[in-house]
Order: sequence, then C-alpha cells, then structure tokens
Amino acid sequence: MPAVVHIPGTLQQYCGACSEFDIKASNVRKALGELESRFPSLYESICDETGTIRRHINLFVNSDLVLWREPTGLDVPLRSGDVLTIWTAVSGG
Amino acid sequence: MAERVLLCIGTKKGLFVAEGAKARKRFELRGPFSPGVAVYSTLIDERGSPKIHASSCHAFFGMKVLTSKDLGNRFKETKSPPAFPKSDGRALANIWSLETGENKKELWCGVEPAALFRSEDSGDSWQMVSGISNHEHARQWHPGNGGLCMHTIVRDGNRIHLGISTGGHYVSEDGGDTFAASNVGVGAGFVPDPYPEFGQCVHKIARHPDAPGRLYMQNHGGWDERPGIGVLRSDDHGKTWRSIAEGLPSDFGFPIVVHPHDPDVAYVVPLEGMTRTCPGAIPSVWRTENGGDSWKQLNKGMPKKDSYFTVLRDAMTIDSLKSPALYFGTTTGQLWIGRDGGEEWDCLFHSLPPILCVKVATV
Repeated sequence: MPAVVHIPGTLQQYCGACSEFDIKASNVRKALGELESRFPSLYESICDETGTIRRHINLFVNSDLVLWREPTGLDVPLRSGDVLTIWTAVSGG
Repeated sequence: MAERVLLCIGTKKGLFVAEGAKARKRFELRGPFSPGVAVYSTLIDERGSPKIHASSCHAFFGMKVLTSKDLGNRFKETKSPPAFPKSDGRALANIWSLETGENKKELWCGVEPAALFRSEDSGDSWQMVSGISNHEHARQWHPGNGGLCMHTIVRDGNRIHLGISTGGHYVSEDGGDTFAASNVGVGAGFVPDPYPEFGQCVHKIARHPDAPGRLYMQNHGGWDERPGIGVLRSDDHGKTWRSIAEGLPSDFGFPIVVHPHDPDVAYVVPLEGMTRTCPGAIPSVWRTENGGDSWKQLNKGMPKKDSYFTVLRDAMTIDSLKSPALYFGTTTGQLWIGRDGGEEWDCLFHSLPPILCVKVATV
C-alpha cells in the first residue's frame, strides 16, 4: 500500500482539484521529487527554485512535523499507509 | 475615443480595479483579486485588446503572475511565473515590475533578488535575461529596506533602462543582450564613495517619448551630508545626471512621474528622509513645469496637518487624457486623485489596504 499525500484546499487547484493522492516514495525527499514531476505547479508552491521548502509551509508525516531544516530532515521514511500532510504554518499580519 | 478610465491598485492584501467615466468624478471598485496576497506590480497592456497583468507575491506559496482579459473582472494565473534556473542558487522573492516588450505578446519582468526576465507568450513562460541577471556586478548589489529589487524597466526602442535598489541605473543599447552601469552624477549617501560606479539606491526612473535622451530619476536622497542627490535629470540617455532638487522641501521620495503631453512637466512626492512621511505632516505633490528648474507645491484638497503616510515607488501615476489626472496611493490605504494635472485633490477611496502600486489607462 502506498503512502497518501494530503493537500490543503488552497493548493488543490495545482493537482487536479484532488485533496489527496497516493504516492510511492520511500522517504519525504523522494516524495517531493515525485510531486515535482507529477504536479510541477504544486511543487513550486511548496518549494522554491533551490529546492528549499517555503518559509510558511510545514510537512507532517502522520502527526510528526518534518524537521526539514535539519540536514537529514527530509530523509524521514514513508511507509505503506503513512500520511504526508502539507500544511500552511501559523502566520500573522 | 477612450470611454472609460481604468485603475489597477496593487495593495498588501490583493489587487483592486477601479473603473470610472472620463470625467473621473466617481470610480467603482471591484476586487480584491488574489485576496490577502501582496501585489507589488501591475501592467495595463493597451496593445490590441487591453489586458491586465499583475504580480501576486504570495508569502506562503511563492510568486504568481495574474492576467485578466476582461478589464479586470476575472484574473487567471499564467502557466508559470518567472523562476531562476535550478543551478543558479537564487530563489524568487518578489516581482517588482511588469512592462510590455517590443512584440505583441512580449513582457518584461523585474524581480527580487534583482534580475530580469522576459516572456514571449504573454507570461506563460519566462526566460532569465542573463546580460543583467548575471552581470559581473550582480553579486555585489545589496538589498535596501525593500529588498534587492529590480523595480524599473524603461524601454526606448532598443535601449532599455533599468533601476535597481540598491544597484543603480543600468542601460542596454542592444535590446537587452548586454547592460552597463550608467550612474555618472548619481550619488549615494550610504557608502564612503559619494559617486560610486554602481550600487546606488535608485527609487524610480521616468521618461517622455517626445524628449529623446531625457530621463528623470528619484534617487535615495535625504542625506544632510550629501544634499541634492535625490532628484536628478539626464539629457543624454542616462549617461550623465545632474541634480534638479533645488526648491523641494526634501530630496527624498519614491515615485517620479512625467506629464503625458509635456516632457518639461514632472511630479514628485517629497518625504522626510528619516521617517519617509510627509514633511511637516502635510502631504503634497510637487510639480516642475520647466524640467526641474523650479517646483510648485500642489495640495489643494489634501489635509493640512496630521498626515504621516508614505507614497511608495510605484504608487503614483498619471492618465493620458487631455487634462490629465494624477493618482497616488498611500501606505495608509487612501487613493487620491489630482484632477487638472494635480491642481485639485480628492480622496477616491479612504480605507483600502496599504497601497503598493497604481496604474491607469483609458480603455
């Protein structure tokens, strides 16, 4: 069983209006690579040109925050049935 | 014959479009489009069927370019925004300027960090212009308070002027293939050398097609030790510049605008250098009618006290009707109109979000 990616409403326009889809990737880094090839505009909304995750985006595997700023943060494994959630961080102003 | 006057108002919380009759008594507002997202640049492309382009500078999801083909009733994202090549190492932080190019579908786009992009398909795809984006000076430019931005693109046939803060004024004589710094007479108050080769904090550049070679510049002034460097004029396509700031209450400001029918008439909004607000808390536009030899204060209808707003670099414009009206937006969300070339002022909208840019066209 693949992992599942959950997409927030504001980004669903970039992936065919779906709120979730299956993904076959062994970790978060590979999942982002898969997103880039399948849904380039979705990927561009999550990561900038250098591959850095945008400042106000958070990723969760199940309920755990992905510490992507850590050198190996994106190497968090994705197992069958895991849920990778893309979420907008708390921001004011 | 133009029938309607169209205003595009980019704000910190989205894009508004205001439409009025030629009399310009009242304007109807629609929007916000891209709600909640800062819009730093708009362009009303009057070639053929009018189109509106706008940058949507999303703090969460990155930059987008929006286009409307129905005079700002609906906007749609273009297929892709400008983006640096992956190998470049830079990432797009903002879109500061959109201008038309030579061909009908050609657009130019100045971004932060300072770089130039060009589209030949109305913004659906973009190519970085290496002549300036990878200029030998580019990695030595540095950001001012607004970021390291390429905010001004002035086209004059094959000659292209760029304004960069802080980078200075650059010119291409070959349609954008190559660029050279051109800042003789453009001062800087924040580095040891008062007249460096490049690195000035240019705020805005304007030209008039009927005055070949003449340019006006609002530069970063407001320096007691280096007075007069804020408002400048060139008569040789930007090769050399001279001060025209005498007579103004401050040489600090952001926008500079030229009258559509008279290249000797230009407008600035002087601000106090330290606070970037109206001198003495009294807002005014100042007009020269002789190319900068003297200036006249225009503020009939504006408050006479207690005004502490800023007018940002792209937040003033002028329409092209026979008796043109000026428009400026404030960081406090007011949109003002100065009818009869700025003789009489009236506040069209009192409570918009902070205004970043204003463009006008007759359609």
